[in-house]
Amino acid sequence: MTKVFANPVNLLPLILGLLALISYQFLPFVNQPDLGATTISTLTAARANNELGISTNGISLLPIGAFAALLLGLWTFSNPQLGRAASVFSLLAGLLMLEYFALFFLDYLAQGASFIGSMGLGFWLLLILALLLIFQVFLPRSKAGKEFQLRTLLANQESAILMALVFLIVSIGLASPRFLATRNILDILQGNAYIAVAAIGMTMVIITGNIDISVGSLIGLLAVVSGRMVVAGNPIWLSWLMPLLVGALVGALIGFIVAYLKVPSIVVTLGFLSILKGGLIIWTNGERVTNMPDGFYLAQMKFFGISTPILFMIILTILAAIWMRFSPMGRSFYALGGNAEAARLSGFSENLILMQVFILNGIFAGIAAVLYATQLRVIQATPPPGLELAVITAVVVGGVSILGGKGTIIGATLAAILLNTIRSGMVFINVSPFWILAVQGILILVTVLIDLIRRQRQLI
Amino acid sequence: MALDTAKVENTMAKRLRNLLFSQEGILFIILVLVIIVLSGRNANFLSASNLLNQGRLMSEVGLVALPMTYIIITAGIDLSVGSILGLSAILLGVFWKNLGVPLELAIILALIVGTVAGYVNGLFIVRLNVPPLIMTLATLAFYRGLAQGISEAKSVTGYPEWFYIFGQKSVMGLPTQLWFFIIATIISIIILRTTTLGRYLYAIGNNPVGARFSGLPVARTLLVIYSYSGFMAALAAVIFVSRVTTTRSDMGTGLELDVIAAVVLGGTSIFGGKGGIIGTLIGLVLIQLLKNGLALSGVTSDATTIVIGLVLILAILVNNFIQRRRDS
Amino acid sequence: MKKFSLRMFASLALALFGLSFAQSWDGADSLPTNPLACGEGAGGGAMAALDYNGGQTMNAPDMMGQAINLIDVPKLVGIGYFAATTLGQQQAAEELGNVTVTTDAPTEANIDDQIAVIESYIASGNINGILFAANDPVAIAPVLRKALEQGIHVVGYDANSEPDAREWFVNQAEFNGIAKAMVDSLAKEKGDSAHFGIVTSTFTTPNQARWIAEMQAYQAACYPNMKWLETLEAQEDAVLSFNQANTLINKYGDELDGIFGMTSVATPSSADAVTQAGLCGDVAVVGLATPNGMKPFVNDGCVQSVVLWNPVDLGYAATYVMRAIVDGTLKAGDTSVEAGRLGTLQVVNGSEILLGAPYIFTPDNINDFDF
Repeated sequence: MTKVFANPVNLLPLILGLLALISYQFLPFVNQPDLGATTISTLTAARANNELGISTNGISLLPIGAFAALLLGLWTFSNPQLGRAASVFSLLAGLLMLEYFALFFLDYLAQGASFIGSMGLGFWLLLILALLLIFQVFLPRSKAGKEFQLRTLLANQESAILMALVFLIVSIGLASPRFLATRNILDILQGNAYIAVAAIGMTMVIITGNIDISVGSLIGLLAVVSGRMVVAGNPIWLSWLMPLLVGALVGALIGFIVAYLKVPSIVVTLGFLSILKGGLIIWTNGERVTNMPDGFYLAQMKFFGISTPILFMIILTILAAIWMRFSPMGRSFYALGGNAEAARLSGFSENLILMQVFILNGIFAGIAAVLYATQLRVIQATPPPGLELAVITAVVVGGVSILGGKGTIIGATLAAILLNTIRSGMVFINVSPFWILAVQGILILVTVLIDLIRRQRQLI
Repeated sequence: MALDTAKVENTMAKRLRNLLFSQEGILFIILVLVIIVLSGRNANFLSASNLLNQGRLMSEVGLVALPMTYIIITAGIDLSVGSILGLSAILLGVFWKNLGVPLELAIILALIVGTVAGYVNGLFIVRLNVPPLIMTLATLAFYRGLAQGISEAKSVTGYPEWFYIFGQKSVMGLPTQLWFFIIATIISIIILRTTTLGRYLYAIGNNPVGARFSGLPVARTLLVIYSYSGFMAALAAVIFVSRVTTTRSDMGTGLELDVIAAVVLGGTSIFGGKGGIIGTLIGLVLIQLLKNGLALSGVTSDATTIVIGLVLILAILVNNFIQRRRDS
Repeated sequence: MKKFSLRMFASLALALFGLSFAQSWDGADSLPTNPLACGEGAGGGAMAALDYNGGQTMNAPDMMGQAINLIDVPKLVGIGYFAATTLGQQQAAEELGNVTVTTDAPTEANIDDQIAVIESYIASGNINGILFAANDPVAIAPVLRKALEQGIHVVGYDANSEPDAREWFVNQAEFNGIAKAMVDSLAKEKGDSAHFGIVTSTFTTPNQARWIAEMQAYQAACYPNMKWLETLEAQEDAVLSFNQANTLINKYGDELDGIFGMTSVATPSSADAVTQAGLCGDVAVVGLATPNGMKPFVNDGCVQSVVLWNPVDLGYAATYVMRAIVDGTLKAGDTSVEAGRLGTLQVVNGSEILLGAPYIFTPDNINDFDF
C-alpha cells in the first residue's frame, strides 16, 4: 500500500481515468449547432438516432479508453508491483483516445466547420488527458515497478485475461464497429455482473481449497425470497437485505458442516444443490414473481450513466481485492488454502476461517441474487441452468488455483467480463450459433494455456 | 483348545466388526434400511421386473462412475463425461447416417472418439499440468460445443432393429447393458485391488509428488484412466442411444454431477487416496433405488431431490462419526 | 514442453479460424412446412382427413365410469407454463369427480430423467393413464409403448411423441396457426417490411424449431419484404435471454424492427431489454408467453400482442380426452370429442385433438387472465 503512495506517478492512470470519465459525462465536448453544448454521452446517443449531421466514426472509443484507463489505474492501485504493466495499458488507452480525436478532426474538416470555435471545454481536457496517458509511460516509477519486461506483463493471470480481453475487443471491433458502441460495452459489462459478484465469494471459497456447487440454486432461491418479500408488502430496503441474511445463514450452515462435522465441501454443496433446488420448486410451484413496486429494480438504476450492477461489480471487486490483500482475515484465507497445517500453527482457527468464508460466500450470493432479481420485471422461479458452472468457470479462468492458496478476486471479475465478451462478440462476428459453445470452450482453454505458459516461464 | 476357538471367534468377530464399520459396510447397512422402508410402501418395489428395469436405467451412470472412481482416487476429477457422452452419441449418428459408415463400424468409431476425447483431457493434465478440474471444465463446454456444431441441432433416428439390443433387450434374463456394467465392474475391482496400476492410483492420490519421485509412471497412469473415462462415456453413449432410439446433442447434460454424487456417496475421498469400486456401486444403487422407491410410494421428483441431497450429506456424516469413534 | 504448448496453440487457433466460417443458422428444423393463407381469418382451412395413426393399448382393463388414477409428466416442473397445465388438469379432475391426477416430472427438461419418472410409475402398477409433454418425440417413445403394452392409456399434450407411442395428442394450436399469428402481429405493428430477430430456447427443442420453420415459410409467402436477421439461443435463462436481446439491439441498431420471443422466458426478457434500452415503439416484441409474465409490458404499452393458447385449457382438455378414452367414448376414427366447458373439440391429423386457434392477448384483454 505504502509503495503505491511513495511515488504518485503510480497513481497517474487512476487520476487521469477518473478525470476522463467525469469530462466524458459532464463537460460540454462540442457545440453542435442543432444540439447546443453537448457532452459525449448525449453525442453518442444522438449519433445512434442519426440526429447528427456528421458521421463521427469511433466516437465510442473515447469513453472506452477513459474507462479502461480508470480500471487500469485501480488495478495498479491494488497491485503495486504491476505499476509498469498497467502504465503500458494506460498508454494503449491513451492511443485509443487519440485515434478518436484524429477521426473526429477529419470529420469536422470534411464538414467545413469552424474547428476551434465549436469545441467545448471537455474536448480540450480530454485531449490533454489522452496525451498525458501516453506520456506518463516515460515518467520514472517507484522501485516496485522495475524495468518493463514482457515477463512483468505476464506476471499474473489478470494481465493475461486483460490482454485477451483487449485483443478480443479490438479485433471484433475492427470486424464489426458497432461492437464498440458504448451501449454494447456497458451491456457486456452488465450482463455478467451478477456472476462476477457471486464469483467474488466463490473465489474466497476456492482459495481456501473448497468449492461451492450449490451457488446457482442458492441465487435462484434468494432471488425469489427477495421478490416475494417485496410483493408481500415489506419495505424495499428489507427485501434487498433479506437475501443477504438468508444467504449468510445458508452459508453458515454449509460452513458448519464443512468445518465442524468434517464433510468435504463438494459433498455438502452437492447435497445442498439438490435440497435448495427441490425446496425452491416445492415452495414456488413454478410460479414466477411479478408486480414488484417500481423502486425495487435496483439493477435497472443508473448513476453517472452507469447501471448499478456494473458499479456493484467494480466496487465490490476492488473492496474485496484490497480486503483479501491487506486484512488479517483475508490473508488467513490464503494461508489456509496454501497450507492448512502452517495456518493452524500460526494461530488461525481453521474451523472459524471456514465458517467465515462460507458465510461471506452466502452474502455475495445474496448480493448477486438481488442484482439478478431486480434486473428484470419478472423473476423466474427456477435459477438459470448451469449458473454454478458459469460462476466456477469465471473463478478458475480468473486464475484461482483450485488447489487453494492462490488467485485474486480481480482475475475472476475480469474472467466473468471476458466470458460475456466472448458470448456477445461471437454474435457480432457472425460465428454460426451451432459453434458458439465450441468456440467458448476453445477460448477458455486458450486463456488457461496462457496462464500455464506464464507459470512455466516463471518456474524456469 | 477352548482357548483357540475363542481366539478364532474373537478374530472373526473383529473382522466382521471391521467389515461392518468400514465405509462400505455402513453404506450397505443404510442401503438395506432404505430397501426395507421402501419395500413396505409399494409391493412392486422389490419385484424382479422393477429391479431389473432400475438396473437398466442405472447402467449408463454406473459405467461412467467406474473410471470416475479411479480418477477421484488420484485426487483428480472429470467434469466432461456428460459432454463426451453427447459428442460420442452425435458422432455415432453422424458416422452412420450422414457418412454412410456401417453401424457396427460407427459404434467402434464412436468408442474411439470418446477414448480420444478422454485422452486429450489426460494429455493436457499430464503434459501441461493443467489442473483436472479446469481442464475438464473447459472441455465440458468444448465437447458439448462440438456435439452441437457437428449435429447442427438435428437428431438422428431410425436405427436398425438389431441395434436396440444394447439398450432395450435382455440377454439371459438380464438387461444387456447390465451385463456390460457387471463385467466392467468386476474388471475394475480386480484392476484396482490386485494390479500395480491399482496401487499406483492410490499412491498418486496420496502423494502425487512422492509418487513421481519414487519413479512411478504417473503420467502414463493418468493418461490411461482419463482415456478409460472417455471410453466408458462413449460406451454409455452407445447404450443410451440404443435405449432412447435417437441422438441429440444435449444428451448426458448434467451426467457428471450424478456420477460424482454416486462416487462420493460411496466413500471415495475427493482429496484422493481413499475409496473403491464397491463403495461406488453401493452409492449408485442407493441413489437409484431411492429415486425409484420414493416415486413408487408417491413422493414427487422435487421432494426426492431433497431427500437425495440429505442422504448424501448424512451418509458421509454418519460415516465420519463412526470412523472417528473407532479411531479413538 | 514449450513445443507441445505451441502446437496446442496452433491447432486451437486453426480450429477457431475454421469455425468462424461455418454457415449461419436460422433455428428452423428441416421438416416440410405448410404455411396458411395470407390475410385475415383464423386460418385452418380444409385439412385432408387422415386415418387414425395413434397407438393402441393391450388388454387394458375396462374402467368405464370407474375412478381412475392418472400421472401427468410434463417436460419439467418448476416453470409457470406447466404449473398452468397442472391447474387445468386439477380443474377437470374436480369436475369429473372420478379422476385423480398427480403431476411429477424432473426438475430439469432432461430426456433421461423424464423416462426414468415414467418407468417408475409404470412399475408402481397403480396408474391407469399417463399424460405427458415430451422432451423429445423419439426418445420418449419406447417407454410409452411399454406403457401401452401394459394396458396403460397414454395421452400427450403440448409436445408430441411419435404417433404410435400414444393414443391421442391434444394439440394446443397448429404450428402454422401459431406462426401466422406471430408474423401477422409483427406486420400489424411494424409494417410488412419489418426486419426481425428471434430469441429462442435451444436448438434442440422440437416445438420451437417447428414454429420458426413455419414462421419463415409464412413470412416468405405473405410478407416477402420482411427480413429475418438472426436467431439466438438463450436456454431457459432469463438473464441470458435479456443479454441476447440486448446483443440483437446493439448489433442491428436501427435496422431491427422487431424481436420474436419463442418461449415464456425469452419473451418477457426481450421485452425488458427493449424497455430498458428506451426503444419501446421502435422495436416491437412479439412472442409466445403466459399473460402473467407479460402484463407489466403490455400494460406499459411496450408490447402490443402476446400469442399463446390457454395452457389451463390444454391441461383440462387432456384430462377430458383421457377420461373419454377410458370410457370408450373416444375411439379410433372418431372426428370429435366432448371436453367439458370447452365444448366439442375436433380431431385433426389422424390422432390429434385440436384445442383451437392460438389466442392473441392484447392490452384490452390480458388482465382478464391469471396464469
